[in-house]
Amino acid sequence: MMALEARNLFKQFSGSSRPAVQDVSFGLRQGEILALVGPSGCGKTTTLRLIAGLERPDAGDVFIGGRQVAGGNFVPPEQRGVGMVFQDHALFPHLTVRENIAFGLRGKHRVEAQTTVQEMLELVGLAHLAERYPHALSGGERQRVALARALAPRPVLVLMDEPFSSLDADLRLEVREQVRAILKAMRATVVFVTHDQDEALFMGDRLAVFQNGRMEQMGTPEDIFHASATHFVAEFMGDSDFVPGQVTAQGIQTSIGLLPQHVSLPYGTPVEVAMRADDVDFAPDAKGNAVLVQRFFRGAFNLYRIRLDSGHVVHAFKPHTHLAQPGARLQACVSADHPLSVFHEGRAVFP
Amino acid sequence: MTALSRTLASWQQRITISPRLALAAGLVAVFVAVPLVYIFVRAAGADADDWARLLQERIWKLLGNTLLLVLAVTSGAALVGVSMAWLTERTDLPGRSIFRWMLALPLAIPAYIGGIVHLTLLRPRGGFIPQTLEAWFGQPIPTPSPLGFWGAAFILTLFTFPYVYLLSGAAFRLLHASLEEAARTFGRTPWQTLWQVTLPALRPGLAAGALLVALDILAEYGTVALLRYETFSSAIFVQLSGRYDRSAASVLSGVLVALAILILWAELRLQGGRRFTQMESNWRPAALLALGRWRFPAFLLVLGVAVASLWVPVTVLAVWSVRAFLDPEVLSSVLRTGSQGLGNFIWHSLWASGLAALIAVALSLPVALLSVRYPNRFSRFISRLCQVGYAIPGVVIALSLVLLVNRFLPFLYATPFVVVIAYVLRHMPQAVRASEAALGQLSPSIEEASRTLGRTSLQTLWQVTLPLITPGLLAGGALVFLTSLKELPATLLLRPAGFDTLAVRVWMWAEEGFYMQAAPAALMLVILSAIPLSFLLRREQIFR
Amino acid sequence: MKFHRFVLVFLMLALVISACAPSATPEAAPQATAPSITGALVIYSGRSEQLIQPVIDAFKSQYPDVEVLLKSGSNSQMANALIEEQANPQADLFITTELFTIQSLTAQGIIDSYQPAGANQIPAEFIGPDNQWVGLTLRARVILYNTNLVTPEEAPTTLNDLTDPRWRGKIAATGSTNGSMQAQIAAMRQLLGEDATQAWLQGLLDNNVTFFGGHTDVRKAVGAGEFAIGLVNHYYYHLQKAEGSPVAVVYPDQGEGQIGLLVNATSAAIIKGGSNAAAARAFIDFLISEEGQKLFAEGNYEYPVRVGVPLHPDVAPLENFRLADVDVAAAAKDFDATFDLIERIGLP
Repeated sequence: MMALEARNLFKQFSGSSRPAVQDVSFGLRQGEILALVGPSGCGKTTTLRLIAGLERPDAGDVFIGGRQVAGGNFVPPEQRGVGMVFQDHALFPHLTVRENIAFGLRGKHRVEAQTTVQEMLELVGLAHLAERYPHALSGGERQRVALARALAPRPVLVLMDEPFSSLDADLRLEVREQVRAILKAMRATVVFVTHDQDEALFMGDRLAVFQNGRMEQMGTPEDIFHASATHFVAEFMGDSDFVPGQVTAQGIQTSIGLLPQHVSLPYGTPVEVAMRADDVDFAPDAKGNAVLVQRFFRGAFNLYRIRLDSGHVVHAFKPHTHLAQPGARLQACVSADHPLSVFHEGRAVFP
Repeated sequence: MTALSRTLASWQQRITISPRLALAAGLVAVFVAVPLVYIFVRAAGADADDWARLLQERIWKLLGNTLLLVLAVTSGAALVGVSMAWLTERTDLPGRSIFRWMLALPLAIPAYIGGIVHLTLLRPRGGFIPQTLEAWFGQPIPTPSPLGFWGAAFILTLFTFPYVYLLSGAAFRLLHASLEEAARTFGRTPWQTLWQVTLPALRPGLAAGALLVALDILAEYGTVALLRYETFSSAIFVQLSGRYDRSAASVLSGVLVALAILILWAELRLQGGRRFTQMESNWRPAALLALGRWRFPAFLLVLGVAVASLWVPVTVLAVWSVRAFLDPEVLSSVLRTGSQGLGNFIWHSLWASGLAALIAVALSLPVALLSVRYPNRFSRFISRLCQVGYAIPGVVIALSLVLLVNRFLPFLYATPFVVVIAYVLRHMPQAVRASEAALGQLSPSIEEASRTLGRTSLQTLWQVTLPLITPGLLAGGALVFLTSLKELPATLLLRPAGFDTLAVRVWMWAEEGFYMQAAPAALMLVILSAIPLSFLLRREQIFR
Repeated sequence: MKFHRFVLVFLMLALVISACAPSATPEAAPQATAPSITGALVIYSGRSEQLIQPVIDAFKSQYPDVEVLLKSGSNSQMANALIEEQANPQADLFITTELFTIQSLTAQGIIDSYQPAGANQIPAEFIGPDNQWVGLTLRARVILYNTNLVTPEEAPTTLNDLTDPRWRGKIAATGSTNGSMQAQIAAMRQLLGEDATQAWLQGLLDNNVTFFGGHTDVRKAVGAGEFAIGLVNHYYYHLQKAEGSPVAVVYPDQGEGQIGLLVNATSAAIIKGGSNAAAARAFIDFLISEEGQKLFAEGNYEYPVRVGVPLHPDVAPLENFRLADVDVAAAAKDFDATFDLIERIGLP
């Protein structure tokens, strides 16, 4: 049985010309963390709110632990047994840390509730701040209180809406490691929304990439990164550059050269080839096919921006020992030892 | 609005409206709208002859009179309010922190009470000042008369400028110093900066404040009646108390309300487009401007305004009150009139205004919840409708309620409850705005968090939303209480026998010329008003 | 007391809304024995509170169980309320400062007939044709002047003199909401006709007469020398004189061919359907009793209607003057035209 299942979710807000979410379906196993990722306005937060019951879907079903909570009979959020962590944490400013965490434990035996609160405080390492009010906490502490509050009622499902976006960059890296460790320790089933690819790749056991209200691809971080299903996913998740090409008998002919890889498309079909900086190499060559535009110092590596004579821009990594100057004429080529992702009309094509 | 609240607003847009809430807010809107619609129906249904007669003889003159006064007082209040705010917030004026209070406290003095005091001081020949001057110089010295247009404009400016003062004082305070500094680096003098940068930046808020003053003047009855300057409000009152003719009063009311709605519409547009300058983390106070040799004249100017609008009325009322208490005959009539005494008037004032505040805040809640949490065309319409009370002068509400209640709810007629309803209708906008402001500052995710933690929407309202917005609701209630306490024309017309409030009692005595008898009640009214007012002022940035 | 009533209303409201059943409020049990009169007596009064207060106090000392609730305002404001409330009467008693309003109300069926005890002591002209109202006191319209500013020789002797440019800016009077002023205009319309009355009012306006809300303001202003001349009821002269001011009085229009002294009666009537008719009757009885009449005569220098009640020694008897001959009933019928005139001329 799936811990969470969404089937064909559809939601359009009044006054909006296009659906916020359409045809979104996925399933989630017990103890799994799913990261919903995409640019702002892609529908990931709406999907989360549909699961929480903060919105009603126009069509489609949601099942939590096998129970149908949307589609047919609508179960209000308070009866769904989900815990949610909000973007702005949404701590109750009139309650202390302890009271915030205890808020969801109503109806439990008093001693039991106290024990739970204490456990949660220790789990998130805030036992010493239990009597403080939220305004007296730092950003990271608030984040952990919000998490503890969501986890305290032992929800069947934890929903997190950009929980780290209000934290400073340094703190964010630290907190997300702590949070992932806590979630895994509790074997929580989690849906996690973010617009940050790194964060999604780090947090998610699996990722679902959203664009324009649709789910573009769902899979493990490796799948998403290495086998992007669409042009959008490759671009959004992988920092890829795209070079157009044509299918020929020898392979794919592009302005960076002929790629000796075969795809199941008729000859002459226009395609796009995605390449990352580690897939590209170059050498100085006065009669080459490209010009060096700019060099970015990246510590151990230099990142070079190269403009092909066709006008397309690609990037290449070189060890810092190698130096080339902007304006230099180059011969660029693909140096990858694996087939590159090829897209036709935005979708990946396979051999 | 910050980027955050803009995102929040767009986020809220997505939520589906709860039908229960929409129904509750809709009912409130209907309650508010009925008296308004009824007046228009009555006005439209009046005899064509009445319309013709009034158009011929009255409406144009009244319109001219009313607009002239509105224009004069609004610009006067804007001028005095902004300059007082600038002097106390942006310059090294001596005694600034005390002046802040002195310039805001006149809001506790109903304009007609201020008018009574100034009238007795300045009345041509008979006033205290002309007589003193005559005694000094041995011959009559001409002094400006507080009667008529100029008198009314003077008095009303004196007691309405604090609205503009408070708004612009806060705005001056919160404006980023960098804005002015930028102007200075572009070669503007402080004076040019004020005119070219600071004031334009504050304009939307100030204009909204000025339009509120304009609405206040449209509704003003006591002062213009006292100073014998005829406006729509006083003409309607005379119609109601002069001849046995409701339809002429309805016609005039219809015209007046149409005029007021026009102003309210402009004010709401400005409110909508208003941008609050936010106190952000990098906020720092702007450098004070050194007045130099203007320091003393500026001090005298501010002192003069404070004396005329606060110290003169309070002192005169205090002196009269003491004299009233020393004169046994006067004292006995102060303490007991009809079968009623001063204690009764205080009690009536307190509970009617208090109940009105309670009801207004309670009714404002569904409206504010709807308009803040579910912003769309419908909820905005409801919210605007509930603010229409600003545009219905007390005398019109009274007329409408007399007709409506007596016809449809006769058992309510001539009970204090009708007076309370009038207060609620008239002052509800203040409660709606306060509740909306309070809710707007509460992130909706706080409520959603409560829902995901197992509370129903109603439990969330009680356990999370209400405790958090209580200070804002209290402020709205205090505002309703304060303005209800001062309300005169509706109370005069609607009160049942034996139900006199302090405001009514002051008016009845003063109108007959018994100023000494009126003084203790007037002083009491001012003191009672000062309590909620100082609570409200303490919430303001500039009084912390 | 009112608060209890309010609670009652609240309960009734709840009852009506929840049950939606016609609720029959039981009639209050009738008094078993007449002598003890209790309950609230609601009086609508067009008279200045200060002038009616001593009478109410004296009444209350006789009937301590009656709670008197007074609502004061202008005659027509109260009359308007009574008309509005005709189907749902709130008041028990109406007191007014002239006879026109009460006659209009009588014509509209708002007044209950009652022949008060002691009616035989009142001249017939001061009792309504079917006992609908009873006169209380008489007052004369007089010209008050400040003797420091005006010599007796200069003082105006007729109402028309008030339009003399000599007095420009020096006259105070009451405005259009004052019942005595309204009554005066109504009487003048009857005596002189519409045009002459309009010309007279226009003359006042042209003369920059200052119009106050009440007569107390007028008399004090004249007493203080703020104005040279005031148009008031005669007792305001005495009240001001009693304060030690340098004032004198002219009973105008006594010459041949002039209209004569305008005199008006205050009056009281019982409201049909009022809830405490017993108290209202007792109050009217008291008003025209010797004690009540003495209060008006001695406390307020008015002319009592009851025969045999002595005038205040300072007050000039009406017999000394030629009185204007006003047909009150006819003027009352035409009262609306008086308001039209007031409005047309723009009297403040």
